[in-house]
Amino acid sequence: MLGHATAQDASGSPLQDVLQTVQADVANPSRSTVPAVLGALLAADAPGTVDFLRAWSDREVYERPDDGLFFYARAAGDDLTLIDIDNGAEIATVGTRDVNQIRPNAGVRREIGAALVAFELTHPDPDRRIAALDAAARSPEPDQIAAIQAARATETDPAIADRMDRLIALLVARFDQDSATRIAAIEALRGDVSTPARSVLNQLLQTRADFAPTLPEDVNVALVKTPGEEITLAAAYEVLVAAGLAPAAPGRNAIRDALRANVVDGAVGGVPVHQLDNDASRIVAYQALQDAGTLPPLVTEADVAEAVAQYVFFDVYLEPDAAVTAAAAAAQAATTTKVALFQFLSLSFDALSLASIFFLAAIGLAITFGVMRVINMAHGEFIMMGAYTGYVVQTIIPNYTASLAVALPLAFAVTFLAGVVMERLVIRHLYTRPLETLLATFGISIALQQLAKNIFGTQARPLTAPDWLAGAIQINDLVSVAAVRVGIFVMAGLFLLLLLYILNRTRLGLEVRAVTQNPGMAASMGINPDRINMLTFGLGSGIAGVAGVAIGLVAQVTSEMGANYIVQSFMTVVVGGVGSVFGTLAGAALIGSLQKGIEWFNPTNTLAAQTYMVLFIILFIQFRPKGIVALKGRAAGD
Amino acid sequence: MTMETTAAPQAATPNRSFLRDNPSVMWFIGLLGVFTVIVTVLSEGMGAGVISTNLVKILGMTLCLCLIAIAMDVVWGYCGILSLGHFAFFGLGGYAIGMWLMYARTEIVIRDNLAQGAIPATEQEVAEAVASQIFGVVGSSDLPLIWTFAGSLPAQLALVVLVPGLLALLFGWLAFRSRVTGVYLSILTQAMTLALSLYLFQNDTGLRGNNGLSGLQNIPGALDVPQAIISVWFFWASAVALGLGYLLFAWVVSGKFGSVIRAIRDNEARVRFLGYNVDGYKLFVFTITAVVAGIAGALYYPQAGIINPAEIAPIASIYLAVWVAIGGRGRLYGAVIGAAFVSLLSSWLTGGGAPNVDLGLFRIVWTDWWLVLLGLGFVAVTLFFPKGIGGLFDYLVRKKP
Repeated sequence: MLGHATAQDASGSPLQDVLQTVQADVANPSRSTVPAVLGALLAADAPGTVDFLRAWSDREVYERPDDGLFFYARAAGDDLTLIDIDNGAEIATVGTRDVNQIRPNAGVRREIGAALVAFELTHPDPDRRIAALDAAARSPEPDQIAAIQAARATETDPAIADRMDRLIALLVARFDQDSATRIAAIEALRGDVSTPARSVLNQLLQTRADFAPTLPEDVNVALVKTPGEEITLAAAYEVLVAAGLAPAAPGRNAIRDALRANVVDGAVGGVPVHQLDNDASRIVAYQALQDAGTLPPLVTEADVAEAVAQYVFFDVYLEPDAAVTAAAAAAQAATTTKVALFQFLSLSFDALSLASIFFLAAIGLAITFGVMRVINMAHGEFIMMGAYTGYVVQTIIPNYTASLAVALPLAFAVTFLAGVVMERLVIRHLYTRPLETLLATFGISIALQQLAKNIFGTQARPLTAPDWLAGAIQINDLVSVAAVRVGIFVMAGLFLLLLLYILNRTRLGLEVRAVTQNPGMAASMGINPDRINMLTFGLGSGIAGVAGVAIGLVAQVTSEMGANYIVQSFMTVVVGGVGSVFGTLAGAALIGSLQKGIEWFNPTNTLAAQTYMVLFIILFIQFRPKGIVALKGRAAGD
Repeated sequence: MTMETTAAPQAATPNRSFLRDNPSVMWFIGLLGVFTVIVTVLSEGMGAGVISTNLVKILGMTLCLCLIAIAMDVVWGYCGILSLGHFAFFGLGGYAIGMWLMYARTEIVIRDNLAQGAIPATEQEVAEAVASQIFGVVGSSDLPLIWTFAGSLPAQLALVVLVPGLLALLFGWLAFRSRVTGVYLSILTQAMTLALSLYLFQNDTGLRGNNGLSGLQNIPGALDVPQAIISVWFFWASAVALGLGYLLFAWVVSGKFGSVIRAIRDNEARVRFLGYNVDGYKLFVFTITAVVAGIAGALYYPQAGIINPAEIAPIASIYLAVWVAIGGRGRLYGAVIGAAFVSLLSSWLTGGGAPNVDLGLFRIVWTDWWLVLLGLGFVAVTLFFPKGIGGLFDYLVRKKP
């Protein structure tokens, strides 16, 4: 056979050749011989050495007694198919008695494992070294220290060297024999917020609950629990019951069941059954049975207190060395402060991201409301329209980056047109009746929502971010920001600048501001308020469309997505102050950080956060009815 | 604006001339009475069986919706406060009565169960079993504090009035004293509604989260009475409540009080300068309508059988405004017509009862297109018929000599 032929061909089987030089020690490994074998194998560095060592350690290597060659094998029924260790070719199928399975003992296997770690840690490929460090960090063992220290001595990459130092510190802190060395290593971990460092400190500070008649001298006590304070009397008594040191106290259910089992002639212990509908008479009945010796005695509160008083309850560190735990506790306290700071930073990023979404959703509304005093309840549906535009573009243009580049202006155009049409057909006729605009636009809103449902169905449509926006920016183990949220933040910033430019530096902006302040006077100065209203409404709606694409990237695109944002958008506008770009910015920042701030107190309950936020806004309006940035002029008159 | 239905500005009007000056009240009460008799005679439970129990319930619920619609009309059409929060008061009334219905019925069932045991249950055991039965669904077995009075019907009936009334009083006082008006006030009331529904959606706030309260159609103390009979009872109760509510509001909006609140609607600043306590008038109207909304809710949900926080969502209150606008603001019967027309049409079209229309190229499936039609129809009403359906009556009345 060809495979057999190559196995015997010296130049084609480098690993087999190396193995044959130490044949006896590989076939019958022992603790004393294995370091030399490992040294020889790793020094020769034939291809497949690492895999062989792993297989050797896992008892997957076989020796053929005839010629002393080594093979891997695969089960073939009751027989074994031998596999060449160099090229993986199938050699032959033999009975299990024809070959010897090599069975290294536990000591040898540990040696092999350590050698493998050392080998990987000094591998020329940096990725292999990092992977080996990751593996070591995941399952820390005492004997890794030496291997990593050895590898550290030859490491040239500063980043990897740094990681090695930290891993050594972690391992030393946990496993070293010398207390002073450990404390020094723990000191080095002070302020390290990475997850492995914090978990090492946590592990060092793990405790178990215990109790004894007197506080023992020879254990590392973490906390002495006074019954009634750190531990309830009932819980302390439960511990004694579980240890068999006190009789179980029958609860109300146990008393009831015991009485139920002892009904004699319509009475229990002389108490008629119909009187047993309260706890007092049940205890009387129970005590009657107890005195008769039928039932175990009741445990009174005095009994509980007496039993508990005979023992001391305390927590013991699993780590026996008190100096080490003290150092770890101190280091943990220092780290906790830093962790809190980073968590605050992370929370701030979340708040900023939410605020930019609110800003994008609300700014269009703020413009139309400010200039025209028109509440556009269909604003949310313009957001939805923008998001669906993005979805449709993505189904046509498969490249996500290109489709996003097309979708943003297209969404603006579509919703700009929709806004202008709505203004011309409906809102123009209702300028004198602002409350009715609210209702008419609401009518449009439910019609558009249902229309979207009829066209796109009720299930959520995806709007996928391009790859360069899909990941997260990882700052450390505590702080990371999704790239798409950064993108939305940047977009909100761009729109802020764009709007400020349009409003303050262009003719259109000048006219818009004039109409905002006094439409009558503006009209007499030759400005056409009708045209300004139309353009303003289109602009506000267009921004809603763009916001829709942005929101679609982080949330689901459904026909109801606009409704989810509309109330928050109104809040943002009202809190910020109507008709002011900076007011809306302030409103969005306030509401975003408020919502995230409240969520922080109760992270599992977003609903509670929203509830309290709305309540806060209602109260806020009491004190600043015109919002943070109050507009002067026409706003004062309504 | 000239939307007044009742032009009776004379002070101190005796009661007899109140009815004479408001012929629509007599008409309305009369028609309502006739309608009630007809439904009773044709009902499954008490009469010919032409009208199914389910339909009786729908009609009874519609009467409750008419009641809240006239409350909405008073606060919006007469006083000019576009409240987007009255359905929250409606829901609160429903929750208040629902707590008793659910607690009392569960207690009866639990007592029956525990009576099977060899020895009678203690009060504490009953209470614990009831609590774990009601709150097991949200993973709790303790009775929250707000259920303290759930076992007592009079207490919960008082809460039907007190909870919406006090909430409206507090909210209105805060809003009106800081002169929040117009669209701001609408948004603020909507925020209140949103906060309330979000609050109720939480599992740990003691009202079973989004499961809501269920089984409300079973009336404790009348568990053996078939639903066919109970539905007629509730229909009567709803009709009486609607009649009394109509009478109350017709009386409130006529006379001097009515003139003042209409004046507030048309020009609040001028009324204030004339020396009227505008805030007090608005607060009274806001609170009394909230109380009536709560009563309407307390009658509605035992017929619906279930209440959950989605009922209170802001959209419900906006629909309420839609009904009133379509029916015709500023006239009480307009609100009744709007609520009855739109809600019945809606349940007919979305319930699959209406035949689909085939236009050759396109097929109109009403369940899909009803909301589009409603939305656009609503825009059309706002634009072209600000007086709503009720405006048609002006033509009838004008033809008389």
